[in-house]
Amino acid sequence: MKPVGIIANPASGKDIRRLVAYGSVFDNNEKVNIVRRVVLGLDAMGVKDIFFMPDYFGIGVRAMEDLNVAVKAHFLEMKIENAPDDSARAAGILSQLGAACIVTLGGDGTNRVVAKTCGATPLLPISTGTNNVFPTMVEGTLAGMAAGVTALNSSPRPEFIRQVPRLVLRHGTEIVDIALIDVVVSKPGFIASRAIWDIATLQEIFLCRAEPGSIGFSSVGGHMSHLSSADGKGLHIIIGPGPYEVKAPIAPGLIREVPVKSFRLFSPGEAIPLSHTPAMIALDGERERIEGKKNRVIIEIEVEGPWVVDIPRTLRYAAEQRLFLNPKQLRR
Amino acid sequence: MQLSKRKLLEMYKKMVTIREFEQSLSEAVAGGTLPGFVHLGIGQEAVHVGVAYALRPTDWVSSTHRDHGMLIARGADIKRMRAEIFGKVTGYCKGKGGSMHLAVYDKGAPGCNGILGPSQTINNGIALALKKRGQGDIAVVLFGDGAAHRGEFHEALNLASCWKLPALAICVNNQYAISVCVDDACAIEDIAARSTGYGIPGLVVDGNDVMAVYEAITETAKSIREGKGPALLELKTRRFKGHFEGDPQSYKTPEEVAEEMQNDPIPTFAKQLLEREITTEKVLKTIVDDVKKELQAAIEFAEQSDYPPLEEIYTDLFYEERRAV
Repeated sequence: MKPVGIIANPASGKDIRRLVAYGSVFDNNEKVNIVRRVVLGLDAMGVKDIFFMPDYFGIGVRAMEDLNVAVKAHFLEMKIENAPDDSARAAGILSQLGAACIVTLGGDGTNRVVAKTCGATPLLPISTGTNNVFPTMVEGTLAGMAAGVTALNSSPRPEFIRQVPRLVLRHGTEIVDIALIDVVVSKPGFIASRAIWDIATLQEIFLCRAEPGSIGFSSVGGHMSHLSSADGKGLHIIIGPGPYEVKAPIAPGLIREVPVKSFRLFSPGEAIPLSHTPAMIALDGERERIEGKKNRVIIEIEVEGPWVVDIPRTLRYAAEQRLFLNPKQLRR
Repeated sequence: MQLSKRKLLEMYKKMVTIREFEQSLSEAVAGGTLPGFVHLGIGQEAVHVGVAYALRPTDWVSSTHRDHGMLIARGADIKRMRAEIFGKVTGYCKGKGGSMHLAVYDKGAPGCNGILGPSQTINNGIALALKKRGQGDIAVVLFGDGAAHRGEFHEALNLASCWKLPALAICVNNQYAISVCVDDACAIEDIAARSTGYGIPGLVVDGNDVMAVYEAITETAKSIREGKGPALLELKTRRFKGHFEGDPQSYKTPEEVAEEMQNDPIPTFAKQLLEREITTEKVLKTIVDDVKKELQAAIEFAEQSDYPPLEEIYTDLFYEERRAV
């Protein structure tokens, strides 16, 4: 049986949106509790080995304390820098180890970093961030059981694992970064506290998911043209005075009228240059890059993004396969 | 959050000024010309400048014995700062406050305070006065991770929250309370998480990124001015020097010291300014040269200033009534 990887980001769920919006603080002790429930779910499914990304708080270590389980916990031998690169490094190692899936605890930002290096290893994302579209709020026990079903399954690509699109940023032919939900371009400034909430600085938005039921900039597009992860298309929105004003929840409790000058769908293979440089680029809700005046930045959508374990479908599959049914009860 | 080029370069100059000022004190202690305890904030310049530039001139900031930089960032004259630390009559407190009790009232600085913890309760008093004045000013207090374990921290936050005071508590977590590492003394990972117990917002900020500090303080101050009550911010940083000048820091490994020096806020900010094409290497070098000249003038000013006369030994130490006694 394949092992399962766990990457729990100790820094997620704590950014400035607790001040400028009404985001909840996601304490690391709560992440420990969630990981505990994931481990119990994995153990119940008979998973033999779990590999944890080590971190400064010791989420994995604390989760395993006093837990009476048969599953064996291993900690990746890797350098810890208390930076996003830790998650990227861990995902690369877990992919090489042949993990059945990587359970992530974090937000869109955490999953973006993991998706850079996880290759074809599917992600099972649990939301512990702020503005989350990619990961979902799910009970850790169910996530652990679904991860266990993934590990038990011998099919290389079972029906409950699906591939989702991603946005790529290119300098010429070179991919310099990716996003799983949105690329938000604003006036040049500083990365500083990373989050984006000041709509006066926005210039344009690229989305690969535009859902009115989402929180964050994905919701802006959701009212223009609905795009799910299955559509494989992108949406490009130019911000500014124009025919529309979208009432959008850009952060928890922060609802703003976002002026939209124009919007259009784009397909894989279409290279869209940034309208302005220099510019600040936010990827999946976090200011990440400054693009200088001379940089020619191109945004594209690719349908070959990360693979994701769909938890409800996985558990439905388990039910159909009678994986959780007690044989004694069946005989009656 | 847009700041003009002039303002950004001014912030850089303040950071360099604080660094050079503190470094010169370190040399004076080593050379034997500055007796007594001196606690330097080298490595914490982003905290001082980020906080100072996010506030109004009419706000008040109480700080610790490691916060000469806070006063400089708020516009105190380094000549009078230097004179004060050297006990000269031209200093801000006529040479009687020294490094540990430097106060610059016209810059909203009621005093550095070597007694850590009570400054938070004192700050509540200032905040109450500001609330009663009703001009939207706020009272800010800086303290360390060690002081966050004292009773006054909890008492002050509780009262500030109950009375919805315009108070901003800033824990400058430099990881060490004298020689005790925060990991060995704090039951939780983030001191900011204690805000939950008092029903107020709390946030952890990278204290070595001046723009992150500026942004967080600006937003928090805005919320406090709107009457939403106090907040607790934790600025995580490092001190590059020992607790006091002469402290060999035997409680840190050489690797830890080397690692913390890699995250120096001044080159970090310089890099940000250059990457954003806000300035050039040449301009930054000119700023450093100018600071060195200004510092030299401050050193000479302090050297040439007199000590307070003996007959004034009790002057300004007590209220008039006490002096009469």
